[in-house]
Amino acid sequence: MTAFPYYGPADIDALNMQAVTLLKLFKAKGYDRQEPSVLQPAALFLDRSGEEIRRRTFTLTDPSGSDLALRPDLTIPIAKRVVESGPHFPARISYNGPVFRHESKGGKPVQFFQAGVELFGEADKAKGDAEILTLAVEALRAAGCTDFTIRMGDLGLFGALVDALQLPEHWRSRLKRHFWRAGYVETLLDRIGHGDETSHLPQDEKDIAALLETQGDAPLAGRTRAEVITRARAEAAEVLKLDGNVAGAITRLLDISAPIAQALADIRALLKTAGINLDAGLAAVEARVALLQKLGVDRIDFNAHFGRSMEYYTGFVFELRSKYGVELAGGGRYDNLLELLGASAPVTAVGCAIHTERLLATVKGAA
Amino acid sequence: MSKPKETKLVIAIPSKGRLKEACGEWFAARGVVLEQEAGSRGYRARFAGMPQIEVMLLSASEIANALLAGDVHLGITGEDLLREAAPELEGRLYLAAPMGFGFADVVVAVSRAWIDVSTMADLDDVCAAFAATHKKRLRVATKYAELTRGWFARNGIADYRIVPSAGATEGAPAAGTAEVIVDITTTGATLRDNGLKILDDGVILKSQATLAASLRGAVWDEDARAACKALFATLGLEAEFKALSALL
Repeated sequence: MTAFPYYGPADIDALNMQAVTLLKLFKAKGYDRQEPSVLQPAALFLDRSGEEIRRRTFTLTDPSGSDLALRPDLTIPIAKRVVESGPHFPARISYNGPVFRHESKGGKPVQFFQAGVELFGEADKAKGDAEILTLAVEALRAAGCTDFTIRMGDLGLFGALVDALQLPEHWRSRLKRHFWRAGYVETLLDRIGHGDETSHLPQDEKDIAALLETQGDAPLAGRTRAEVITRARAEAAEVLKLDGNVAGAITRLLDISAPIAQALADIRALLKTAGINLDAGLAAVEARVALLQKLGVDRIDFNAHFGRSMEYYTGFVFELRSKYGVELAGGGRYDNLLELLGASAPVTAVGCAIHTERLLATVKGAA
Repeated sequence: MSKPKETKLVIAIPSKGRLKEACGEWFAARGVVLEQEAGSRGYRARFAGMPQIEVMLLSASEIANALLAGDVHLGITGEDLLREAAPELEGRLYLAAPMGFGFADVVVAVSRAWIDVSTMADLDDVCAAFAATHKKRLRVATKYAELTRGWFARNGIADYRIVPSAGATEGAPAAGTAEVIVDITTTGATLRDNGLKILDDGVILKSQATLAASLRGAVWDEDARAACKALFATLGLEAEFKALSALL
């Protein structure tokens, strides 16, 4: 594999033919193709996504001094367009084109093709999840790949779990925000479990305001006085102590990575220990499993800690892998993205991207 | 640039200021005398009695780049500059010896008016709240973009963006060009003067001047190795030479 792929006549023909097959399937399901430009304003990716995306995004400066970026994905430019054009919801969009990502380990391609679908504004989330999951499975099969496994997780399940805990709101949001980081959530839970997070701020609002006055002409640095005081009061007021058993149960729960039946049994046992009820969340997982079984996909792994390197996922996440473990397609729910891009009201979003070159190589290898 | 024929090994040392002086003293204390080369306009020097070694005088930041490019075999500069230039040192640079001078901490600093922020975890909260409230990412001014990225990632902070800073980084929060800074400090006085404080767990790197070897690009032939071995032996760095040899 090279950092700069070169497609010979046979390679590019095969890739194009596969793309036609995929786009035809998407079209038949109501997904019309759109094509954002390869060069985008850098701020689109850098302001709204985290440093993880920024680290992997190629940026350049145009002759007038404006910062541009080579798109690291098509989801963000498409979502931005949806925000600006205000379509009727639900909106269904498909795409196929090259994306560009820096690889810190040399030798991996910095450009590769992605084909995918985005479903915006479907109010029934279970229905949206099912539609995208079904389409992903059908797309792989249409391309000739029948032997694959699925790994899935659910950030919403973790969110519901955190909401069930007796913790201050900003600790809950902190735990949710870090779900995608293996290890860190456990560290946070451990710290809460040991009561290590005691504030040194005064309890009284007047004392807090007085403390701020003593900082002299130190700049507020982008925050308002009210923001600082409000957060300082919340910090001062919080009593952080999580039952050690509960913290332990959550940590073990996050460790679960097993075939789906085993994983669900383990999760239920741990929830019982911790005295937490998550029946609604688990029912959603079971509905997806039933759907996959109906589709004839039976090798399903559930990974409770399955986050994604792209930080905008908020709920159901999945990836389809070849029998050799190569990730062929991945997707999930990212209900916050459109608001981050400027939508005035929440818009649900779920989508999936296929790594078409890997898919082609897998199909050719199997033939 | 043509090198004198006998040159087998090139070492870069800082060309000016306190670092240059301290380097000279460090070598002198180990019996190696630095001699300015006549007519080189101060860009080249020699170690007395070691004609096989050429000493290049470069700026501290150029030294990091020269080491990474393999233009020099050895170099002395701040560990902060080395780690910033090469976030992944493995296979590229070997940090042979810390030298006991040029101390500086690379730190995360915020305004003292942020009385609710004293740890990276607090900063994480504020970053997320800032993104939600102001609909834009909190800005971190720094000339250490790579060190900042790695450190923030290890602390789980994603909701921020780096604003490259060419100088006077400590003024950014007051000037309104960034909310937070990552910068070097020795005593913390400059930060204090600008109304800033270092986060309790915000020390990214305790840096000092470091003797480093280039592992990629530099030609480590028999002669270069022999010259390096002799130099390291004089400096009392036999074990370090052995470790370096194993990487070449």
